[in-house]
Amino acid sequence: MSIPKVIGIEQEYAISVKGADDLSAFHASCMLVNAYARKIGLREPGVSVLWDYGHETPFKDIRGELFGRKTGRDVTGKEDNLLINAILPNGARLYTDHAHPEYSTPECLSAREAAACDKSGELILNQAVGLVKKILPKTVIKLFKNNIDHQGQSYGCHENYLLDAKAHQQCLVSDPARAARTLIPFLVTRQIFAGSGKPGPNFEISQRAGFMERLFGLDTMFNRPLINTRQEHHADSNRFRRLHLILGDANMSDFATMLKVGTTQIVLQMMEDDFIAMDFTLRDELRVLKQISARYDCEIEMADGRKTNAIELQRRFLELAGNFCLGRDVACVPHADFILENWEAVLGGLENLKLSSDSDLEDDPRDLRRKLDWVQKLWLFTRYRRKKNLGWNHPQLKVMDLQYHNIDPDESIFYSLRDQGLTESVLEEAEVLAFVEEAPPSTRAWFRSRCMQKFAREIYLVNWEVVGFDHGDVHRMVPLLNPLKGTKERFEEVFDKACDSRRLLSLLEKMSS
Amino acid sequence: MVETRQMKQKKKKKSEKEAEASPNAAGTDKKKQLQQLDNFIEGVLQEAGEEFLEEFKQVEGQ
Repeated sequence: MSIPKVIGIEQEYAISVKGADDLSAFHASCMLVNAYARKIGLREPGVSVLWDYGHETPFKDIRGELFGRKTGRDVTGKEDNLLINAILPNGARLYTDHAHPEYSTPECLSAREAAACDKSGELILNQAVGLVKKILPKTVIKLFKNNIDHQGQSYGCHENYLLDAKAHQQCLVSDPARAARTLIPFLVTRQIFAGSGKPGPNFEISQRAGFMERLFGLDTMFNRPLINTRQEHHADSNRFRRLHLILGDANMSDFATMLKVGTTQIVLQMMEDDFIAMDFTLRDELRVLKQISARYDCEIEMADGRKTNAIELQRRFLELAGNFCLGRDVACVPHADFILENWEAVLGGLENLKLSSDSDLEDDPRDLRRKLDWVQKLWLFTRYRRKKNLGWNHPQLKVMDLQYHNIDPDESIFYSLRDQGLTESVLEEAEVLAFVEEAPPSTRAWFRSRCMQKFAREIYLVNWEVVGFDHGDVHRMVPLLNPLKGTKERFEEVFDKACDSRRLLSLLEKMSS
Repeated sequence: MVETRQMKQKKKKKSEKEAEASPNAAGTDKKKQLQQLDNFIEGVLQEAGEEFLEEFKQVEGQ
């Protein structure tokens, strides 16, 4: 039986640093993390909340292999921990990952919440940039929410989905052919609405497709896999598993984020329920991924020799999803109607899109450019190419591509498009602002968030699955092993009654007895 | 960047009555929006030229 698809998005931001202070990207990123942490009171005397790396096992593989000599990270000292990490009162994690500022959203129950939390990460980082500017006025830091630097390097927008342990074991470990028949073809083709696009040497609809090198794997910086097999579930792994996807593009369009995540939620639930009876296995998935990125409507080959294209394959998933949602409790996939309706509309728009042989946008009768990042960019680039007679590899298009993803609303091409009414948002400003301060109410993120808001001085460590309180002679750990528990509905009253963490724990014990 | 900020216009909301009464005005507005966008992009390219691209090299991420 499928379970609600709790989601988290982890976005590595590109960082550009210029100025007299000779600051490295790593140190600039740490300054951003700590400037924001200081602003919200996390660096006051007596507050020292560490990120608990103990549950991280980057070398443990769900397939049972062990890579390297260690299963966990090297122990990080307290000073380095605080240099790199901030656990925020909205339940998110802001930290420095390989010199990139990374914002990991709190756990969300719906695609809309995930899109809003992802956007609130931009607001938080913009605040951080402003705060560092006051400390170092001669240094200019800019942040970009994208995946490539046009010089061969890539960085991720990772998605995490909660899976039922048994289904995860069956579909991804014991019999990965099941994932190859269902999930993988969906993931390979969803770039037609989820891709962010990039110029040079030709136009491609996905930024990340070219960096994927295998179907399953443990690595994330080379040999990148479609399905990351890291055995790091951040929950009770007898009941729950984490599906970690690193192939997705970073989206500036919140519509694209919501559709990317929402459709994936539905497909995963269908996979869990063994609802997909057809075999959609592709012949050479990685090749198909790159083919579609080069041309969204190209013919692709399935393993049994049938020919199709990405739009048609996505239509098959949509049809299944429609039947699936009719017969089930759609509360498991919030906003299912919105997701299905817009999935259909987008596929219809893609069927009517016209590109030249040279990938210029000739016609977009359903105005997909207002919703999808890659189509928006294609529209922009086509105008500019024709005006200035530029080839796809021209540096000016790459500069425009990067500046599309600049998160500073005064400098970003994306936000300029929005200000001119040339792009659409599905989110309200108020809901994005709310998630800067608050966690989504229906996952364990709310519990973590409330602990950080009320008891930061008493917390000595936190990670996704635990809050550890320092009670002098003892440390008291509150495990959060079920991402679906710890909700506002269940615990708001408890927190309202608790003047300190000792009282909180006492009340929690009474609840469970 | 000051030049870019001066060129940036806030999105103006048009009343439905205005839109219905004046389709030509809608077309003019659209043209204006596109012109403002083009000006913005020119500003961006002047401010961040090809050297920006060279300096943009990132550390490999995940």
